[in-house]
Amino acid sequence: MENKDSLFTVEGMTDEELFSLVDHNSLDSEKITAPRYSYWRSVFRVFFKKKINIVILAVLAFVILFAYIYPSLISYDRFGNLMDASAKHLKPGAAIKKFGFSIHWILGTGASGQSTFDAIWTGSRISISLAFICAAINMTIGVLVGAIWGFSKKIDMIMMEVYNIVGNIPMILLISVLVLIFSPSFGSMVFALTCTGWLFIAYFIRTQVIIIRDREYNLASRCLGTPLTRIATKNILPFMTSVIVTLLAVEIPSYIGYEVFLAYIGMGMSDMSLGRLIYEAESAMVTPGWQFEFWSPVVIASIITVALYVTGQNLGDASDPRTHM
Amino acid sequence: MTKYVLKRLLHGLISSFVVVTIVMIMIYTMLDRNLIFATDNVFKNYGNNEKTAYMYRKWEEYGYLDLITYNDYLLDLVDKGELDEETQKKVASIGKKPENDSELTAEYVQKFNDWCAANGYTVTRLNAIMVTPKKYANGGAQQLFAAKDLPVTHRLVKYVTGLISVDNIHFVDEDIDLGKRGLTFTLHDPVYGGDKFAPAIIGNGTYHKYLLYVDKVFPYLHQNLVTINLGKSYAVNAGIDVFDTMTKKQGSYVMSTMTFPTGLTEESADDLHSATFVYGSMAANKVNSDRFTDDYTSVSTYKAGKSKVGYSFTIGIIEVFLVYLFGIPMGILMAKKKDKFVDKLGTAYIVFITAVPSLAYIFLFKAIGGKIGLPTTFDMESTSKLIYVLPIVSLALPAIGNIMKWLRRYMIDQMNSDYVKFARSGGLTEGEIFRKHILKNASIPLVHGIPGQILGALVGAIITERVYTVPGAGNLMTIAINQYDNGVIVGMALFYSLLSVISIIAGDVLISIVDPRISYTGKAR
Repeated sequence: MENKDSLFTVEGMTDEELFSLVDHNSLDSEKITAPRYSYWRSVFRVFFKKKINIVILAVLAFVILFAYIYPSLISYDRFGNLMDASAKHLKPGAAIKKFGFSIHWILGTGASGQSTFDAIWTGSRISISLAFICAAINMTIGVLVGAIWGFSKKIDMIMMEVYNIVGNIPMILLISVLVLIFSPSFGSMVFALTCTGWLFIAYFIRTQVIIIRDREYNLASRCLGTPLTRIATKNILPFMTSVIVTLLAVEIPSYIGYEVFLAYIGMGMSDMSLGRLIYEAESAMVTPGWQFEFWSPVVIASIITVALYVTGQNLGDASDPRTHM
Repeated sequence: MTKYVLKRLLHGLISSFVVVTIVMIMIYTMLDRNLIFATDNVFKNYGNNEKTAYMYRKWEEYGYLDLITYNDYLLDLVDKGELDEETQKKVASIGKKPENDSELTAEYVQKFNDWCAANGYTVTRLNAIMVTPKKYANGGAQQLFAAKDLPVTHRLVKYVTGLISVDNIHFVDEDIDLGKRGLTFTLHDPVYGGDKFAPAIIGNGTYHKYLLYVDKVFPYLHQNLVTINLGKSYAVNAGIDVFDTMTKKQGSYVMSTMTFPTGLTEESADDLHSATFVYGSMAANKVNSDRFTDDYTSVSTYKAGKSKVGYSFTIGIIEVFLVYLFGIPMGILMAKKKDKFVDKLGTAYIVFITAVPSLAYIFLFKAIGGKIGLPTTFDMESTSKLIYVLPIVSLALPAIGNIMKWLRRYMIDQMNSDYVKFARSGGLTEGEIFRKHILKNASIPLVHGIPGQILGALVGAIITERVYTVPGAGNLMTIAINQYDNGVIVGMALFYSLLSVISIIAGDVLISIVDPRISYTGKAR
């Protein structure tokens, strides 16, 4: 009861001051008011509500910034210590003892006396760049083509045939042939990974578009004469945002994994990527005392992929409008 | 339904051949053809002109071009009767340089050149390379031959028509006399001494001696009548067909006492049932003439290990079994305890196994496995079954994560649907709803993948087999690519695409059996 009283009586004010008669305004009554809703603000509100997301995002930001800034500050020379036989395959302790304490030596040295710490960050930069560039190209083409593919029945027929055939060409064959024809450089690797990679994303998007395309609200929209482009951008795209973000969460780390895989089977690029580091240090894994040079790139690759994956997944969850309530 | 499946199969077959065409165009026209010699040791030993001639011979053997040497041309003329043998011998030896040719030789060389120009061949004449005026350099003898590149279409037609070959009694050249050609059916296989009851069909004039026979190895009844030729290997397993490379047993010889056709009894690993025809081989060496009574002397051997596909499939099929055995209950548990501790733990596992590069966790398993004393390298001679543990675990753990992820997702989707609410309001217990409704509906998309998983076991796994040195089929493609073995690449591409086509169709059929709502024949689609 107290609550109710306090709602309607204010100290020192008369009823006349508190209440005034409002005219009926037919124009105002036509307006619909709702709480202000901003899609992206809600996405980030939901995303940052989970404390774990802040931690992982911080880790991810640190790793990416470090991978881009650190290698440009140092001058990494892989064969700088090549002639120094006593500098090869050192454990962190021994390396610090030999060279004096500096950040370069905290993970020991590799096969040609190079700093493992410097190597993994140089490698990370290449791998992360590859993943982001490939994902950007594949997602852009894939989403655009997938949307058209999903809408047009004629294109669907043609594209399904293309998909059935191209999807069956062994990926490693395609990549290795392309790498052989050009050169095992960063550019040809990007080309090899994006040459058919977009098709699989397009297929995924096509399926999602077909699912949403024939829903009742779109049928109603079409009956009311909404143009197709408007349906695509206003009715379907918002639905797709969360799907696309979730897909991106899987795609970006998968390129890092794929690069590691290709390098391991000897079909990678010539740049010192994480995959190539792992490939070259494989024999070190079984040699006692040399494990650091093998496990360092493996661990950093895992950290990057897990952080990217978790961030993306949770961002995907947060970008689903149904979680904004 | 049958009609629909047949139509799909035909369609799939066509797509597979399109895949093969694309692969062929990629590797035969886009890649440098010199690459095929990268790992050829014979090639390295040849020098100068002989090296070039060897390259052309190999290119002909592997279908790049059609090669005709000057001597072939002359012999052809002799066959046609346009040249007598005496003149042929005279004109056959060409000079060290064109200007050294005798008048008669020069005339026939000119004829050869004209014939080549008329038929689209490109003539190559290599002058002799001399160390001293009298002494040839290594492989420096003069060469004269002509070659014509074969188009990919020609190669494709040849490949497709040669895919399946049926043995017949006219296989051996008609000019060769081997007595009466024909097939004989016997109830007492001579390999077993001729007394034991063992039906067999023996051919004379065929490529294989035994066309049908029984033995003690699964599936007991074997045939050599129909052979599959996926493509001849160059570097991986020189001269052997990919299909044989994949299916032939490996490992050490299994010796047993056996009686050869001549009656000779000896300790041997020879598999007499695999005898194939090699002309003149019986008389060629003492070992063969002691053992065999005809030219069917080329035999393969009994070996202790499994074939490449055998190892991959053994590992793969156990893995598939374990994946469904563990993945399904764990996925159900996660869906049931949504947002509880178990679900969170499972999600953490799924995140780890999907995000971390497969190479990383396979090495992790290898390191852990090695610590607890499991064998980390595969040894065909080992009798211990423990060698299978790590490869199976490395393959199963990520696949289990995948099943858990999708089953949980499908089940949670189903849990929110109206029919579940209706079932609950109808008074069904939660257990019944889960078992009879949710699980049934949620498992349909998973059922679709089962044939793919099983057939995928035949293909093997690239990284796992490499890390644990399993002699399986998974690595064949990557090895072939690394050694530029085009025959193997094409064969494997066809094998992969056929398997994927079949597994998708089998999956579609399977879900239509499991789910009566799915029909491929009705009009309402």
